[in-house]
Amino acid sequence: MNLTSKALTKSIGVFHAACSPCNNCDIEILDALTPKHDLERFGITLVGSARHADVLLVTGVPNYKTAERLKKLYLQTAKPCLVVAVGGCACGRIMFRDSYNSPCAVDEIVPVDLYIPGCPPKPEALIAGVVKLLAKLRGK
Amino acid sequence: MQETVAKFREKFSNQVIKSQEKSTRRQYIEFLPPDIPEAARFLFKDLNCRFATASGIDTPEGIEILYHFSDDHTGEVISLRTILTDKKDPQIHSIATIFPAAEWIEREIWELLGVKFIGHPNLKHLLLIDDWPEGKHPLRKKE
Repeated sequence: MNLTSKALTKSIGVFHAACSPCNNCDIEILDALTPKHDLERFGITLVGSARHADVLLVTGVPNYKTAERLKKLYLQTAKPCLVVAVGGCACGRIMFRDSYNSPCAVDEIVPVDLYIPGCPPKPEALIAGVVKLLAKLRGK
Repeated sequence: MQETVAKFREKFSNQVIKSQEKSTRRQYIEFLPPDIPEAARFLFKDLNCRFATASGIDTPEGIEILYHFSDDHTGEVISLRTILTDKKDPQIHSIATIFPAAEWIEREIWELLGVKFIGHPNLKHLLLIDDWPEGKHPLRKKE
């Protein structure tokens, strides 16, 4: 494990990229950060700019407008940057597959490292996902 | 019948085509498209109703547009209904000139259903990308 990915496992700045979600996943993500579930005990905080992010957290199905912006956001992040797709929409477009305003799935725009399915996923599922991501980074 | 609706009906007794009372506080009143701006102006300026939103739908008879107004003092909701029978080129006068709150919803109805709002100050794409193909309206039913 090189130094940059080792540093990544210590404290993760997450940028929340909402790509036209219905907001249910976003509520669960915020719920996971509250003292009850407390994702911050793993050193995870939300950051205000993609330039400060180690992880890009994507919710929703990208439409023609947000697809372009998601690509730009990913290009703005400092590498290495991980991408986490939260919710059924971001994982595989589910019922919006044939929508007039849905050009492609999230993983066709940016490389996704972790999929957390669910509609919306529970905070427990988010925490389980994060633990798996950290284990993967540490090479376990 | 509630007070606001009674006043409205008295003023527009000649123009109303038909009306439906869903409940004592929920009214649907149908007009011909040219009478809509005047009715909307009266509801908004004289009866102090709040413009909640508008909705459009493609029906077999034509494109139906509903303008929902709410009187927050009495709790009444009045929906003005109009049907644009010419589906090839549906047109109606914009009410965004009376209150700017209608601007965005008219832009949305324009791009998704292809209704042309005459006199709208800024009729361009809102939800779809700017280079969306012209004449393609995603919420129109297939002929």
